[in-house]
Amino acid sequence: MNKYCHAFLVGLQSNLVYRWNFAVRGFFSLFHLAVVFILWGAAYSGTREIGGFSFGQTLTYFLVMLVMQFFVGAFNEDYQISEEIRNGLINQFLLKPINYFLYRFSIFVAARLVTGILILLPLMVAVPLLRDYLTLPHDLWRIPLGITAMAFSALIQFSIAYCFGLLTFWFLEIQGFVILSMAVESILGGQMFPLDLLPAWAYRLAQFLPFYYQTYFPAAIFTGRIHDLGAVWQGLGIQLGWVVVLLALNQFLWARGLRRHTAVGG
Amino acid sequence: MPRYLQIWLASARYSIVRTLMFRFDFFLWATVELFWMSVNLLMISVIYEHTNSIAGWSKYEMLLLVGTSLLVQRFLMGFFWSSLFELGRNIRSGYFDFFLAQPGNILFMASTRKVDLDGIMNSFVAMGVVAYAAHRLGLHPSAADIALYALMIVCGLVIHYSMLVLSISIAFWITSAQGIEGIYFTLAEFSRLPREAFRGLASLVFVWLLPVVVVSNAPAHTLLHGFQPVWALALLAAALLWLGAAIFVFHRGLRRYSSASS
Repeated sequence: MNKYCHAFLVGLQSNLVYRWNFAVRGFFSLFHLAVVFILWGAAYSGTREIGGFSFGQTLTYFLVMLVMQFFVGAFNEDYQISEEIRNGLINQFLLKPINYFLYRFSIFVAARLVTGILILLPLMVAVPLLRDYLTLPHDLWRIPLGITAMAFSALIQFSIAYCFGLLTFWFLEIQGFVILSMAVESILGGQMFPLDLLPAWAYRLAQFLPFYYQTYFPAAIFTGRIHDLGAVWQGLGIQLGWVVVLLALNQFLWARGLRRHTAVGG
Repeated sequence: MPRYLQIWLASARYSIVRTLMFRFDFFLWATVELFWMSVNLLMISVIYEHTNSIAGWSKYEMLLLVGTSLLVQRFLMGFFWSSLFELGRNIRSGYFDFFLAQPGNILFMASTRKVDLDGIMNSFVAMGVVAYAAHRLGLHPSAADIALYALMIVCGLVIHYSMLVLSISIAFWITSAQGIEGIYFTLAEFSRLPREAFRGLASLVFVWLLPVVVVSNAPAHTLLHGFQPVWALALLAAALLWLGAAIFVFHRGLRRYSSASS
């Protein structure tokens, strides 16, 4: 355990050093939020409610999702893992009693801790400006259950990124796969629009896919887009199921990938 | 001029041969682009399930606008993206020396090295979206309207190209800046929104200061409401101004290039 603690601490330091990456990402997010604000503001100009939610509630949903992603989103973990496999850096882990998944996960947690805390700074500036638009439900149960869903969501997001990283054992370039999956995730994770706006059958279908639990599910708990407690418990059950499946897939790909690995460089 | 055409044709030929060699890559990237286009179209259709208008634009008018914006972006992807993306990387790594040694306009040589067939192929999909939307709206544009629309798309391409060159040129000053191409994508998101949706400060920045809104709105307006000199002139002026700015900044950046290889 101690060794992963060190990996975590190194991760913390390196993320504090590369603040520039965070600034760039924060800057893009701000503009993305402006697009969301303008588009949905215009969509609400002719109607008071969309899918039973006001403009304020929809804007809150997008803001919560954006902030949450800084805490749990896998950002470039897939590329980092891919890079380490390609230039042979993983060889050192094969020779030492270190689990590569746990090592990478420790760094991921450290990175999200840094970006999560850093995003609170611009958020403190933005919230007073947007105060009139923000509406969150007051049920207390939403906080612990939402945070649990966020933790599972972090595991799911990291596992998916890890899987894509491991694809490097088979393919030279993973960028195409990553960007392809980003398109699917942005729709089915509810980043383009709240998933409850989908036709009922499509929404039901989405609930059985892992993408739903990547971003939409925790955001929907916090912002009241999922009303009843029963649905939340059921969702957490399916989410946990996906965590287990994806962790197993990670182990499987790692074991199969290593058989092909030729340990060049290092 | 014909010399540059010859150079471009040689690059295009080389790119086609490359595509034939890496067929899987071609299919993968064509699918990636197709998926991202679908994401945008799906978002529009879902919103219109719940409302009839976005800033006064009906569903198919909006589809025409988004299709237009995607069309310009596909052309950029097809003709310039790979070359300019590598330009940023080359500036950081020092491989850019290779372009400096070539006998020709540096920006031209660096922008036209690769042509992506997947982007060009997907531009037909975007054209299909625009044609479908026009058909659903019962539009019957004359040949002159279509020619004007095409010209405006070219102006739009010039503007997108300039925005991308400007973003990439930052690498001359900040060599550690990775992912600066993202600036272009972030700005391009705004071009899928109708002009009427922008108010106050947003209108000042994205309609008047940055050319992101006029790029898609001007051609879409031409198809929807016929030729309007104001839109056409605004687009032409923006294209010339931003191309000028891109060339200027690129050359200023060039002076700072110190061949950072190790």
